Amino acid sequence: MIHNFDTVIVGSGGAGLYAALEASARSKTAVLSKLYPIRSHTGAAQGGISAALGNVEEDSAQWHAFDTVKGGDYLVDQQAAMILTEEAIQAVYDLENRGLPFNRTPEGRIDQRRFGGHTRNFGEGPVRRACYAADRTGHMILQTLYQQCIKNEVSFFDEFQVVDVIIEDGSCRGVVVVELATGEMHIFAAKAVLFATGGFGRIFKITSNAYANTGDGPAVCARRGIPLEDMEFYQFHPTGIMGLGILISEAVRGEGGILRNRDGERFMERYSPTLLDLAPRDIVARSILTEVRAGQGIRGDRRIDDYVHLDATHLGKEVLDAKLPDISGFCRTYLGIDPIDAPIPVLPTAHYAMGGIPTDVHGRVVIDREGTIIDGLYAAGECACVSVHGANRLGTNSLLDLIVFGRRAGQHIAEYVKDAPAPRPVADADEFARAWIDRLLDGADGPHGGAITDEMQVTMMEKVGIYRNKADMSVAVDQIQELRSRYQTVRVQDTGSRFNTDLLELIELGNLLDLSLVTAVSALHREESRGAHSREDFPERDDDTWLKHTLAYLEGDEVRLDYKAVDTSIWEPKPRTY
Amino acid sequence: MKTIDLTLKIWRQKNNDALGGFETYLLRDISTDMSFLEMLDVLNEQLTAEGKIPVAFDHDCREGICGSCGAMVNGIAHGPVKLNNLCQLHMRAFNSGDTLVIEPFRSRAFPIRKDLMVDRSALDRIIQAGGYVSVNTGGGVDGNAIPISSETAELAMDSAACVGCGACVASCPNDAAMLFTGAKITQLGLLPQGQPERKERARAMVTQMDKEGFGFCSNERECQAQCPKGISIRSIARMNRDFFRGSLFGE
Ligand SMILES: Cc1cc2nc3c(=O)[nH]c(=O)nc-3n(C[C@H](O)[C@H](O)[C@H](O)COP(=O)(O)OP(=O)(O)OC[C@H]3O[C@@H](n4cnc5c(N)ncnc54)[C@H](O)[C@@H]3O)c2cc1C
Ligand code: FES
Repeated sequence: MIHNFDTVIVGSGGAGLYAALEASARSKTAVLSKLYPIRSHTGAAQGGISAALGNVEEDSAQWHAFDTVKGGDYLVDQQAAMILTEEAIQAVYDLENRGLPFNRTPEGRIDQRRFGGHTRNFGEGPVRRACYAADRTGHMILQTLYQQCIKNEVSFFDEFQVVDVIIEDGSCRGVVVVELATGEMHIFAAKAVLFATGGFGRIFKITSNAYANTGDGPAVCARRGIPLEDMEFYQFHPTGIMGLGILISEAVRGEGGILRNRDGERFMERYSPTLLDLAPRDIVARSILTEVRAGQGIRGDRRIDDYVHLDATHLGKEVLDAKLPDISGFCRTYLGIDPIDAPIPVLPTAHYAMGGIPTDVHGRVVIDREGTIIDGLYAAGECACVSVHGANRLGTNSLLDLIVFGRRAGQHIAEYVKDAPAPRPVADADEFARAWIDRLLDGADGPHGGAITDEMQVTMMEKVGIYRNKADMSVAVDQIQELRSRYQTVRVQDTGSRFNTDLLELIELGNLLDLSLVTAVSALHREESRGAHSREDFPERDDDTWLKHTLAYLEGDEVRLDYKAVDTSIWEPKPRTY
Repeated sequence: MKTIDLTLKIWRQKNNDALGGFETYLLRDISTDMSFLEMLDVLNEQLTAEGKIPVAFDHDCREGICGSCGAMVNGIAHGPVKLNNLCQLHMRAFNSGDTLVIEPFRSRAFPIRKDLMVDRSALDRIIQAGGYVSVNTGGGVDGNAIPISSETAELAMDSAACVGCGACVASCPNDAAMLFTGAKITQLGLLPQGQPERKERARAMVTQMDKEGFGFCSNERECQAQCPKGISIRSIARMNRDFFRGSLFGE
């Protein structure tokens, strides 16, 4: 079936919904989402959204931008960071006007709390910058934006999974989609398409990401010749619940929680004397792993799954109940412990993709170092790379990224579609997708995907995880290639057409494998340590050679690498100490 | 590590038109540290290995946030532990030798899609009927920070905690969606931003609720007891108040 819209938004998390909200004010807009909108992963964001409101203490957008640049280990495009932090303030007020129940100060103003890497006056000490709605900030943002999109009469196509993008003569013409309920294939012809498909934490074994975070947008684009930027920068959140990867928000440390090793020592005093437990995530995650490797984990067996303690026992019941209710609940549910009585066992968990589909500050996809644009193709949110997070994202800057750049992309689309040529349905646009799906469903004998998924996730976790080196990563690249060729033989057990979740999961596995390959190859070639990319064989940051963004082109079974300059027009790169 | 053996009686149904029925499966050596959904994963691996079709169930975040998961376990929505989504239920809640009857959330307004998956889009349509605030944004900065007392913000937040899982509907003997609708109406009705449309909103959402075929509240309180987010039936009272004002003075 063929549908015609001005604007098609793929994904209904914070980024997609904000873009839809803006685009729908002036164009006929459809939102396609493989999940029901309010079930998108933005709902999982607990900690908050940062903006220099200065409600509880002095703050400025410039300080915020500086923290973002420094936190990203100077791989951030600096003008983009200024846009992010300047527009943050209005963005938060807009959300509150639309009905988002933020926590309040006793005077009735929006309350703010501390978060890792956010400082006053260019690094002097922590600042209260994160606005929050208890520990359900993302959930509230999602609800609020969904309600607003409904008000604007956006057409929602829920449980429609995009499997391909149609690009012709340098412009985007639409997407190819499978409908979960019927198994039917649809073509959505459009003047503008925006990808907002979220993260891809599912390439790793232990992750805070939901099952749907399979990087469909970046994978689909990569197969159509669009490069992926800075894929080697993947953030591990320091505090996942041991064994599960479920996140214990940084807000616990923001409220005063302390990390301790087996001797009860507050080890962050050694790694980050100023910011302590609130140092940026890459530093805390590495510190934890260093303790574990030195036998200072709680078990002390030096194994990669050993853990440390997050101690919140001194915070008191009132703080925990009022400010962190979900977290207390999590601990009781998953661990059978109460954080008031016992420390929480934590270890780093794969959390956030800094890299993704390269865009400019209007959300337009750029495909090379010269900044060439594909007309009508946009990306925003975690699947995009503006780049405002550089080599390491600060907590609460992602929700902000969704809102600011989701909105900017939506506004640009609204303008663009006014004069853009009417969408033309493209004959045979679904050929590639059809061939792929027909093979998976042809009923032939073939292995199921489960084993491949597992091997991929373990390989990526162990060899392209927090600490990396050439030998391990070369092995990883070979293993991923081998899994990709095994993938060519997998088949779906359930060959029915309606609600074939099995089929859609196998399509997602194909995406994850492609992204694993691009990530591993990009990481193998970057011979320095910067932000979340930490090489044992190249422990120093090397600005002379490597102060540049990676652009990785997936060309069949090969990955071709190119690089582009970083915008450092405001702050000179300096060593990053906290 | 403690392990248990279980007998599962699971509702299998190919699609909404097909006839459904219970199938019985035996599972051995299930760790009590597993979550309920991990237990279903184990079952599905077993079924796949036997060349059978795995049991379809909704899930995504597996941490009680997205509201995707849900099933009746021995007649109780989300199983025997209170304040839990199904994904948060752990096998330590069960004993070796137990038989678990696992069925989809049942309601006239929730057609079955496949096995344990149901179509809850009726809830979305209730929101679509009016669950939003109409405002103009983007004006001057400071004037936009509307002061709201922290108590009001907290009450609004408690109602906004609803994840739309549908457990309230599934546990109500009348198939009512009053707790869901009440929570949504309360959240916006408590805040100053939500005042202008307050009565009209209640009227429109309650009307849609009827249209979807949901039943009416007879104060059984099952919804409150099974809500994974602990939303109180006080929100139903607030909704009724707004609704009656809306229908008396509205339009
Ligand atoms: C546990 C957790 C806590 C976090 N806490 C914070 C925090 O406190 N502050 C902060 O700033 N950030 C936080 N983050 C990060 C932040 O939440 C995410 O980066 C952000 O929500 C991503 O939003 P998004 O709009 O890009 O994508 P998502 O919200 O992930 O939405 C993706 C959308 O794309 C759709 N989709 C995907 N693939 C397809 C396809 N093939 N076809 C159609 N639709 C598709 C999905 O259905 C979904 O609607 C947290 C992340 C996690 C995991
Ligand atoms: S799977 Fe998300 S709430 Fe259970």
